[in-house]
Amino acid sequence: MATTTTPNATDWPGRYYHIDQILEKAGPRTDPEWVPGDKAKEWLREGVKVLVIGAGGLGCEILSNLALTGFKDIHVIDMDTIDISNLNRQFLFRQKDVGKSKALVAAEFIMNRVPGVKVTPYHGKIQDKDEDYYMQFTLIICGLDSVEARRWINATLVNMVDPENPQSLKPLIDGGTEGFKGQARVILPTITSCYECSLDMLNKQTQFPICTIANTPRLPEHCIEWASVLEWPRVFPDKKVDNDDPDHIDWLYKQALNRAQEFKIEGVTWSLTQGVVKNIIPAIASTNAIISAACCNEAFKIATNSAAFLNNYFMFIGTDGVYSYTFEHERRPECPVCGGEALDLTISPELTLQELIDLLIERQDIQIKKPSLSTPTKQLYLQAPPQLEEATRPNLEKKVSELVPPNGDVTVTASTLPFSLSLRIAYT
Amino acid sequence: MSAGNESQTIESATTTIESAPDQKTRRYDRQLRLWAKSGQAALESAHILVLSSSSTSASILKNLVLPGIGQFTILDRTITEPKDAGNNFFLEGQKSIGKPRAEEATRLLLELNDGVQGHAVVNKDVQEVLASADGAEWLKGFTLIIAHNVEKGALEKLSDLLWADIKSPPLVVIRSAGFLAEIFIQFHEHAVIDSHIDTSPSLRIDKPFPALLKHATSLDLENMDVTDHGHVPYVYILVRVLEEWKASHGGNLPRTTDERKAFKTIIGKMRKKSDEENFEEAEGQAYKCWSSTVVPGDIKSLFTADATASPPHTKPFHYLLKALEIFTTTVEPHTLPLSATLPDMKADTKQYVGIQRLYKDRASEEKGIFKDILAKVLKDQGEDSSLIDDETIDAFVKNAHILKLLKGKKWGWIDADKGALSEHAQISSKQLGIHLALSSLSSLQFKHIQSQSQSEFAPTLEELTAAAQAILPEGVELQDGDLNNAVGELARAPTADLPNTAALLGGVVAQEVIKMITKQYVPVEGYCTIDLVETWTGVL
Repeated sequence: MATTTTPNATDWPGRYYHIDQILEKAGPRTDPEWVPGDKAKEWLREGVKVLVIGAGGLGCEILSNLALTGFKDIHVIDMDTIDISNLNRQFLFRQKDVGKSKALVAAEFIMNRVPGVKVTPYHGKIQDKDEDYYMQFTLIICGLDSVEARRWINATLVNMVDPENPQSLKPLIDGGTEGFKGQARVILPTITSCYECSLDMLNKQTQFPICTIANTPRLPEHCIEWASVLEWPRVFPDKKVDNDDPDHIDWLYKQALNRAQEFKIEGVTWSLTQGVVKNIIPAIASTNAIISAACCNEAFKIATNSAAFLNNYFMFIGTDGVYSYTFEHERRPECPVCGGEALDLTISPELTLQELIDLLIERQDIQIKKPSLSTPTKQLYLQAPPQLEEATRPNLEKKVSELVPPNGDVTVTASTLPFSLSLRIAYT
Repeated sequence: MSAGNESQTIESATTTIESAPDQKTRRYDRQLRLWAKSGQAALESAHILVLSSSSTSASILKNLVLPGIGQFTILDRTITEPKDAGNNFFLEGQKSIGKPRAEEATRLLLELNDGVQGHAVVNKDVQEVLASADGAEWLKGFTLIIAHNVEKGALEKLSDLLWADIKSPPLVVIRSAGFLAEIFIQFHEHAVIDSHIDTSPSLRIDKPFPALLKHATSLDLENMDVTDHGHVPYVYILVRVLEEWKASHGGNLPRTTDERKAFKTIIGKMRKKSDEENFEEAEGQAYKCWSSTVVPGDIKSLFTADATASPPHTKPFHYLLKALEIFTTTVEPHTLPLSATLPDMKADTKQYVGIQRLYKDRASEEKGIFKDILAKVLKDQGEDSSLIDDETIDAFVKNAHILKLLKGKKWGWIDADKGALSEHAQISSKQLGIHLALSSLSSLQFKHIQSQSQSEFAPTLEELTAAAQAILPEGVELQDGDLNNAVGELARAPTADLPNTAALLGGVVAQEVIKMITKQYVPVEGYCTIDLVETWTGVL
């Protein structure tokens, strides 16, 4: 794939006055082998092709930083459209853009504002693209709010690494924020710890037991969950809740409020209802700016070698003063994506297959939502296709110990994740 | 009576059902979940002054315009040069070259939010403003002033002016070059009621209020229905076990490891079934019985804070503190007022709502006592009782365990404090290296400007090192390489306002400004230094 950017056609003298100070001279901590000057500049401006995943809160910032830094061939993927609640931080979008594709509007805005930068948008899912597509990039920056999508791209990039071909190793820079906090990290697939290695660092999502929701609510959240999980399907069996439809939220709010009144529980509000139903994470421009800048700074250092890049995790907390923590997150030998070793799992011989599945969903370091399980010789439980699901369903009631010998291997897969997890089962 | 109030609250809440949020609430939804309407109102009534329209300044402003700051003014007479058009997203490339930079940036920043007003002052610089008495007053009229890479002479004058008057706005000083930066907020005093610090208030299990004690000890656990037994809130269980323990241990709490183990065993034995989650929770929370509830040290230390030299905006906070001190010393059991917020716990609806009611009623009684004390404090001080509204008192009592009072310092204090310099050379040498390097850079730049040289400002490594070392007291040195690493980066890029550094500063500074203006969360104290070679921040 040849790039079509015409070098320097739009570069006015002095355009890169600031960046060039870095590229024309080494710093005290720069690799002594590094050669400053025109070659470094040319590579940055003409050789590098960057992919940005996500054109939301982080993505808007990442795109503008990359463009000003001198990256000229940028691709961006996002499947979302613009919502009014994005406008407090996603600064490439305006009121008139509400409803349009984030990737398309962001790309157009950047190309208008920063001349000579080519931004190629794709309005769709990362899963639509194959390895050949990802292979064309020098590096990839993620500004996502979805754990699932991060796991997918991480596993895809790890799988792509071919030891014979150094070009197949694509640095992945990942950012994430919540309120005044965030983190940026550099992942060199198969070399540093990967996204899957650190899955247990994610905050556990609060899940309320169904019996509390159904029978003994105490919190306003319990009433809201009752409305959305139990009452909605009862009243509208053929319709799913649309989180983005204010009428749906309004209905849920009123149901939750009635229930709260019945149980003398205070605190159900419209905003809380929306927050619980949509699992809203607070987000502000400033935190996104910090994390995106950290990500793009690493991209700049990786692309130019003008300074060593982050090894490998930067955590920022702005709630109480300015606190940050930079550290090396270690690889996990039993990481299902980059580790290669089987995960040892010791369970009770009484545990049923269904209970094992619940455990896999529950465990912080596994979190596989709809797992299919098999041993080297037989299928234990398959989520799809329907015939096989039906055929293997009776196993759910059986004890694992009846199905898998001691120290036997079980392979866990899920359609949403491009990898499999190997378990070695022992019994207490 | 309170129970009556309660049902009223619920009824009025249901009769005034909220409708879907309006446009503005929807736009700001993701931030209102952090700082609520009160924080938003504070932002919207603020007017900030920004000295310079550099890439860094524009990045800071972007992150304040988006959440809806009321007004901003940029003071900068710079005419856009080719280099500005290359690193600033709030300029339109070559189209902006030759135009006043502040006007271009203001125009493009205002596109981000219709609710914000912006002004560009392009016919004078801060030196000229400082030279006149009117100018000095104009400066003091802003909510907050931000100064990015303002030359040393003007910055010192500005800092002096603002420091001399206790009523002055905070001054946020940012200095940056290449991969390095520092941020400092000069202010006299900053009081935070809603600090959002993640600490739970005491449930006073060891000092139960009468209604709680009565309810906990009167529960007939023996003859209770099995289902109810499995839903008794752990607070009752702990209060009950602890009362019995104290009675048989001379009034003491469980102190030794063995005693604590024995205490948990008692709880364990109370179970009727092995899977009672409330008893499991009681064992898990038993540590709440290990130490007696007292006024937390951080809060107690606020009682000794000197209020005589406080700016007007923190006066109410000091009166509230005074009332809190009186409350904790005169009202039994000499603790902070009880919090009305109860954490979730294993219980059925009836028991949970019941215990919530007990806490709420008692909290409201204690708040009443606190209010009476406050009224007397205000009267004694000759202040009008309307000085502090009910909403503020409610928030103060609610957050009494996480209050914050920051005493600020003047910009540049560290360079004049030999003790602090020696100490930081030992304990935070890397951070001090960045501070010294940036100080040395601004001194040399000031000399360069004064010499009216036509050449580009390009300090050598030797000049920078010498100027940095000159700040350190004699015999004090940084740890190996720390000064050279910082100074070397500045010799490499002495005038570079890198887009990524600018963007990162834009975020960090905007967070601090939001915290200062909303008086929520806790702003940074001291010099926040930033190294984007190794990607870390550290505070001096």
